[in-house]
Amino acid sequence: MSIGRDGIAGLVLLAISLVLLVKSFQLPSLPIVPVGPGFYPSIVLCFMAAASALLVLQDLMKRAPVVADVPGAPRRNYRLVVIAFAIVGIYVVLLPLLGFRLATVLFVGSLQAALGRPRTPRQWAVLAAIALGTAMVSYFVFERYLLVLLPRGAWTGF
Amino acid sequence: MLDLLWHGLVNVAQWKYMLPLFAGTFIGVIGGSLPGVTITMTVIVVLPFTYGLDPLAGLAAMTGVYVGGSTGGLIACCLLGIPGSPASIATTFDGFPMSRNGEPGRAIWLGVWASVWGGLLGALFLVFLTGPLAAIALEFGPWEYFSLFVLAMAMVAGLTEASLLKGLLSTAIGLLITVVGHDPIGSVPRFTFGSEFIGGGFPFLPVLIGIFAFAQIMTDLEKLNGPRNQPVESLVGVRLERFSHLKVNLEIFRQPFLLAWSTIVGLIIGILPAIGGSASSVMAYDQAKKFSKTPERFGKGHPEGIIASEASNNANVSGSLMTIMAFGIPGDAVTAVMLGAMTIHGIQSGPLFISQNPDLAYGIYAAYILAHPCMLLICVALMPLMLRVTSVRMAVLAPVVLVLCVVGAYALNNTMQSVYVLLLFGVVGYVLVKLGFPLAPLILGLILGDQIEINLVRAIMTDANPWLFVTRPISGGLLAAAVLSVALAIWQHLRHQNRVVEEEPDF
Repeated sequence: MSIGRDGIAGLVLLAISLVLLVKSFQLPSLPIVPVGPGFYPSIVLCFMAAASALLVLQDLMKRAPVVADVPGAPRRNYRLVVIAFAIVGIYVVLLPLLGFRLATVLFVGSLQAALGRPRTPRQWAVLAAIALGTAMVSYFVFERYLLVLLPRGAWTGF
Repeated sequence: MLDLLWHGLVNVAQWKYMLPLFAGTFIGVIGGSLPGVTITMTVIVVLPFTYGLDPLAGLAAMTGVYVGGSTGGLIACCLLGIPGSPASIATTFDGFPMSRNGEPGRAIWLGVWASVWGGLLGALFLVFLTGPLAAIALEFGPWEYFSLFVLAMAMVAGLTEASLLKGLLSTAIGLLITVVGHDPIGSVPRFTFGSEFIGGGFPFLPVLIGIFAFAQIMTDLEKLNGPRNQPVESLVGVRLERFSHLKVNLEIFRQPFLLAWSTIVGLIIGILPAIGGSASSVMAYDQAKKFSKTPERFGKGHPEGIIASEASNNANVSGSLMTIMAFGIPGDAVTAVMLGAMTIHGIQSGPLFISQNPDLAYGIYAAYILAHPCMLLICVALMPLMLRVTSVRMAVLAPVVLVLCVVGAYALNNTMQSVYVLLLFGVVGYVLVKLGFPLAPLILGLILGDQIEINLVRAIMTDANPWLFVTRPISGGLLAAAVLSVALAIWQHLRHQNRVVEEEPDF
């Protein structure tokens, strides 16, 4: 009997729900309201804990399937996903430091390059045009026409 | 009622509403026609543009996206053999074979016209049934509301294909997200761990955008350079053959039962919470095949398959709008975003929405009706462009969409906190999808969580007897339906246990 991906997910959710369930019992009760602030969360968390435990059980009782490569199934490129998340993370960090315009040019350019590396000068020019265009068009549309203020850079003041 | 509708039509026909409606419909058609870009993602992209508009203009733009996107998906179906959006999935079964048989024009225009007629028929139900439904909902007390929300969540969790348990857990995660922050009765902080960052709870829209947009984009990036991006038999750039619009319309109206029944199927699926257009498209296709005199022709380019799927997915939009306007429950993820946009503008959806905001309610009806001629005009004028747009690469699209997601989160209250929430839930959404957890129940839990708690506490404060939830006829009936729905799902899961096939996540 071995634990699979579902079982691990169930265990993580079970742990979260039990920790929060204990926390919900520690919430103070209110004098005028018949049920305290922990009443509803404790119902949700009990339900979640029970469902998580069942998921773990279901996973443990499941016979291990024979894993075989399905012909024609798409090959997953998880490296690209990690890189994309990292670039988005860096963008979110840089946004208040460099400001929307500069950070967006860098973000769009770098993510495009990561997803499909340009090889010719023309492809690089297209990449730069899309990066600049996205930043400028969104800046003008939001700031000038829709009056939505976008982040200014603490480092650049721009 | 007709006076109000006429007033709504005249109102929306003004430039300040027509322009956002037309632009929304255009973006919807383009977004729908891009494989890998769903209508939900398109409406999320449009969302930040609506912050600066007046509420009706913003909602008109979103309605346009919804209608346009429901139709746009058929272009990729007919030319690439893959659905542009999940709502068009069944159009692929006959649209692509018909195109390969040398009739791409007939396939595409059968779909466009079926969308128009299905959508407009759906509008009749939207206009005439939403009010009576809201009147029924007005009779509800907190017990009935609580039970209605429980039924909605049970149905959505039960309909998930992978695992009922995961559907229920996904619902619980959505509900759990809503309890973080101050409680709605006494403002006691819950599960904040002393952090000011989550003291006010997680804002709904950044969570929704993070979960949906990131989960979808990242899942698409996994397959970049994979076989799905290089269709074996793409017809992109093909010239449409000469054909008559009149003939296409006659072909549709020669089968009035098919059109009407597909519309009703789409409408019912739309009314049921958070099920979505893909189910309506497939179900209408299945029904059309069952009722057809020539079922053997389905899958080989049969016009009935295209008509059923497209009429149904556009009627599904009207059903979803009915649910949101009568009960305040989103029919699917697109209306969930619309619900969020309404909240930003200080509008409370639910049974009082129509009576308290008649201009806005009839404005939405009018926008829905007018979006169809707009969509038709866009298709007529820009079909050559749309025939090419399906080939836009994900490497170009993904960064632009992500920028608009960040702007959408940031512009909510001009703080970076919403962007951090977006990123956090982007990771959570992706991990959940990879673990096989469906996102629709989570979103419904997220939307209904506060309302469930408020109605539960209100019911207990009114009368502490918990049996009232079961003994009040409507409340008891709704709870019984919820139990039945879960029991049915368990039965179906047990029946199909040995036929589980790994499928693409449906956003």
